[in-house]
Amino acid sequence: EAAGGLEVDVVFVDTDYSLDMLHLVSILDSKLTLLAGADEAALRSCLSRLLFVHCYSSSQLLLTLHFLETTLSSRPALALILIDSISAFYWVDRCEGGASYTKQEEKLSRCAELLGRLLRDYRITVFATCHAIRRPGVPSSSSDSERSYLCRSWQRLVTHRLLCSRQEPGDNMAAEGGHDQEQRRQQIFTVHCTTSSSRVKASWSSSFCVTEAGFSE
Amino acid sequence: MVVLREGMCPGLDEDLLRDLRAADIKTVEDLVSSDIEGLAQKCSVSYKALFAIRRVLLAQHTAFPVSGADLYEELLSSTAILSTGNPSLDKLLDSGLYTGEITELSGGPGSGKSQVCFGVAVHISYQLKQSVIYIDTTGGLAAGRLLQMLQAETSNTEEQMEALQRIHVFRLFDVYALLDCLYSLRSGGLQQVSVGGGSVKAVIVDSVSAVISPLLGGKQNEGMSLMIQVAGALKTMAKDFNVAALVTNHVTRSGSGEVQPGLGVSWSHIPRTRILLERVEKAAAVSRPSLRSAKLIKSSRQPCHIKEEFDLQWWSRSEKGSLGKRKLDETDS
Repeated sequence: EAAGGLEVDVVFVDTDYSLDMLHLVSILDSKLTLLAGADEAALRSCLSRLLFVHCYSSSQLLLTLHFLETTLSSRPALALILIDSISAFYWVDRCEGGASYTKQEEKLSRCAELLGRLLRDYRITVFATCHAIRRPGVPSSSSDSERSYLCRSWQRLVTHRLLCSRQEPGDNMAAEGGHDQEQRRQQIFTVHCTTSSSRVKASWSSSFCVTEAGFSE
Repeated sequence: MVVLREGMCPGLDEDLLRDLRAADIKTVEDLVSSDIEGLAQKCSVSYKALFAIRRVLLAQHTAFPVSGADLYEELLSSTAILSTGNPSLDKLLDSGLYTGEITELSGGPGSGKSQVCFGVAVHISYQLKQSVIYIDTTGGLAAGRLLQMLQAETSNTEEQMEALQRIHVFRLFDVYALLDCLYSLRSGGLQQVSVGGGSVKAVIVDSVSAVISPLLGGKQNEGMSLMIQVAGALKTMAKDFNVAALVTNHVTRSGSGEVQPGLGVSWSHIPRTRILLERVEKAAAVSRPSLRSAKLIKSSRQPCHIKEEFDLQWWSRSEKGSLGKRKLDETDS
């Protein structure tokens, strides 16, 4: 808490083995050292607030979310669920569901409904990542990636949508010429956020760079 | 979807199963998501009994959460970084191939992807003395080439044979055989293979796009689903057994004419690190046809778009002099 954090328990639901734990710990470590002095015990207590779960299918995701409900009631400090990523089973579900769209989307919509109930009953926050895809048979156009392709129950659940994109390295480094050593261009990412709650419709953008110590403006 | 069967848990007998099926509850997910009170009334069973069954089934089938501290400890002790044997590539990869992750090498024909895979396999089996699983889907692997690379490392025939034995080759030509192979490796195959000497530290699939890209395109979903299943199988194997997965991919041209790795946007999220290999076009490179340039296009550890040039002949260069100094082949053969 001395470092300005919220001391909140977090559940990380991983569906595609994308959590780079070592990287996370190095960011955490550098932040703690910067703000509260190097402290092994503080790092450990922060890490113990993180619960990690891995799901290998959308059925298991559904069951795990049900299981999380009991965890939510037994750990009042739990306030954030991170799902990375909610779209990992999209293609597998579509193939399993055969020809009917309802069957294809059934598992994910059940997860979405359950999450909606957890959001209301336990007052938690949910962050989920969703990968952009290109659907086969649809001509690729730039507007494609911005439309959500997941089931309707999920789309209704989402109140804030952040669209992340990478700025292609531009000509701002033209002055460097052919020096390969100087190619440490800062990769700039932009985030465009749209909110769609019932009353307010707003949107804003921001840019950031990723460094060893996390984000920087 | 896990179908409810009798005997799955205490209390789940045939009569209850029949009543549940009549109430349209056929799978574990259905049971867990439904209203227990209403269901208990419909199936004339006590609420407590049904609730207990639900709890047991849930405990049996969910993923168990692990604390972040434990996960970190485990990762610290089990993650290893395997050098590729080529210092320029290692620099690009932030010291080498990380276990537990998928690294992708993409490039056009003749860009050297298979040669790099051979070099990595030889390096791991000879220098690091660990086993390698090499899944060849293009028919491009020739044991003679591996032997040639090993002969450049040592002239001792016994050591060469030992190193060759540590490279286990699987030749498959379609995606179902690939999935079969990966699943069987996961369920015991890896242990069997490690009995010889040195545990398996790397799984190389050359190339993964050869078996998947024929299935993509058009409006069918099966190709995409199979691709995601292959990715899942590789990642689970990499994580559970602490191996480094190296896959190769072909290239296509994007809408703006740029060269990009194949298999599309959905695959692009799968590998943690991606490298694009190209021939070097500079005038100075004409005298060195084995020169290649590698560009890092996706990495969670390094800034992207850094390039390194390296020589494909690095892995079969003539060996160090008697004084132990390394001698790089200056002239081309």
